[in-house]
Amino acid sequence: MTMMIEDVVKTLDGKLVAGADTGRAVGAVVANDLMSDVLLDDSDDILLLTSLASDQVIRTANIIGAMGVVVHNGKPLPEAMCQAANNFGIPLVSTPLAKYQSCVRIHEFLSRE
Amino acid sequence: MNDYQPTILPADAGQKDDDIMAAHSLTGTKESPLVILEMLQRLRVRDVMKADGVVSVVRSDTLHFAQNLMKRNSISGVPVLEEGRLFGIVSVNIIIKALEGGYIQDPCHKHMSTSLVFLEEGMPLALAIKYFQNYTFGRFPVLDKDRKFVGIVSQRDIMRAILKELAEELARYEGKKPAAATVPFGEVSTSAYTMQQYPVVHNDLQNAGRAANEIKRLLAGAGVDKKIVRRIAVAAYELEINIAIHSVGGTLTFILDGQKVTIIARDRGPGIADIEWALRDGTSTANDWVRSMGFGAGMGLANSKRVSDKFEIKSVVPSGTTVLCEFNLKKD
Amino acid sequence: MLLTELAEKIGGTIVVDNPSANITAAYTSDLLSDVMGHCGEESALITIQNHLNAIAVATLVGNEAIVLCHSRPVPDDMKAAATREGIALVTTPLSQFAASVALQELNPSQK
Repeated sequence: MTMMIEDVVKTLDGKLVAGADTGRAVGAVVANDLMSDVLLDDSDDILLLTSLASDQVIRTANIIGAMGVVVHNGKPLPEAMCQAANNFGIPLVSTPLAKYQSCVRIHEFLSRE
Repeated sequence: MNDYQPTILPADAGQKDDDIMAAHSLTGTKESPLVILEMLQRLRVRDVMKADGVVSVVRSDTLHFAQNLMKRNSISGVPVLEEGRLFGIVSVNIIIKALEGGYIQDPCHKHMSTSLVFLEEGMPLALAIKYFQNYTFGRFPVLDKDRKFVGIVSQRDIMRAILKELAEELARYEGKKPAAATVPFGEVSTSAYTMQQYPVVHNDLQNAGRAANEIKRLLAGAGVDKKIVRRIAVAAYELEINIAIHSVGGTLTFILDGQKVTIIARDRGPGIADIEWALRDGTSTANDWVRSMGFGAGMGLANSKRVSDKFEIKSVVPSGTTVLCEFNLKKD
Repeated sequence: MLLTELAEKIGGTIVVDNPSANITAAYTSDLLSDVMGHCGEESALITIQNHLNAIAVATLVGNEAIVLCHSRPVPDDMKAAATREGIALVTTPLSQFAASVALQELNPSQK
């Protein structure tokens, strides 16, 4: 099933903290905290699942043209990160879930008919 | 709706997003005459000489053969070289005399000029320029400290190197002026030329990545194909992070020239002793602090090579590393 | 879940065995500080960190197994430390996302 950023927010019991819906659907899911690794993935419209809360994550997401970023464990988000997300127009979602749970739930959503 | 409330930390005082880049553009500016003097002292003959593909003859070649070589390559002199040893130079004047005297079929060693003036590769450019002023030669052979031939340098090579360095300095002065950002990118816009240079500060992971994002913005604004923009941005980002993590500091230079984009990452040390090793996936000397920031997985160089159409790396311990990545904007 | 079962689900290779491991939960992270803060005992740690320090952290939080994604090579010192600490090490060609999904039955909310 097509997953938009609002579906991501709902599925992960999260909140959209910054950035706005860009109308792009999840094309691929990358769960990674190493930004150098994230840069290796050539997929389009990546939803980036991470435990790292810094504006560097948003810069990385912008470089690869990610459709959204999710930060886990309710980790406090630096304001600079939110600002960067607003500047680049990248939806930034915060969820209380652990990344493992997010993976499972997102896959479950995407697998729906 | 759920009742989950995300936490947002207030920004640190003085960490205004846009100011940081602007402040960086101002660091390291100098008085302009000093810039040129410093440049002439800093640049060495080896930095500007032609080292690869130098056209040469051997002693037994005929002057006629040398004449043809010079004609074909539009050069005014050719070194007589055997196994790295320089025996002499055959210049246009020698060829003219040979044609007049009717001995153009003679071997080079009979008439070549052997009272040679040469430059050493480690000489500063300032000294090389004095040589050009004091002698009438159009070019000088360059020897290393063991008197082996390593290249040739002409006035044109020096002029080109100085202009290139000056352009980089100028780009740095101008900082992030957006003037060139909106250069339209039509099929025929071969005159589109933009150059930006960004300083990258050691261990400043807070700001590393800004230059790459700025480059991405410039390219997207110029209407470059999205996939190519992403490849260029990835390379720029990897190289920028690399300078911040591994070097004492340096610059990231972005050149948009017609249908080609070049990213040059240059740092001031400490250099890479084993480039093959550094290019391997998963190779890293990053410390735990860097890793905790999500970097230092050791794929930066390999990844920037992967996305580039052309990749070159040169490194000297301890003076520094230069990486060049080229991208063709034209899809073929 | 036994180690052999886990390895099978992710198409993995057991690099360091631990036949007594009983994996009841999983945690996905590449930040060792994050693992220390949130990961519970008896978990499999799904990560890309092929670094000696991952074993140190796994020992601290009480992990039984580490799943190394993207077929990341295991350095000798990491292998030796895992063997010494009795922590199983499995490599898989899957990404962290795909490996997490393949091991979804460890998800507490699915039980």
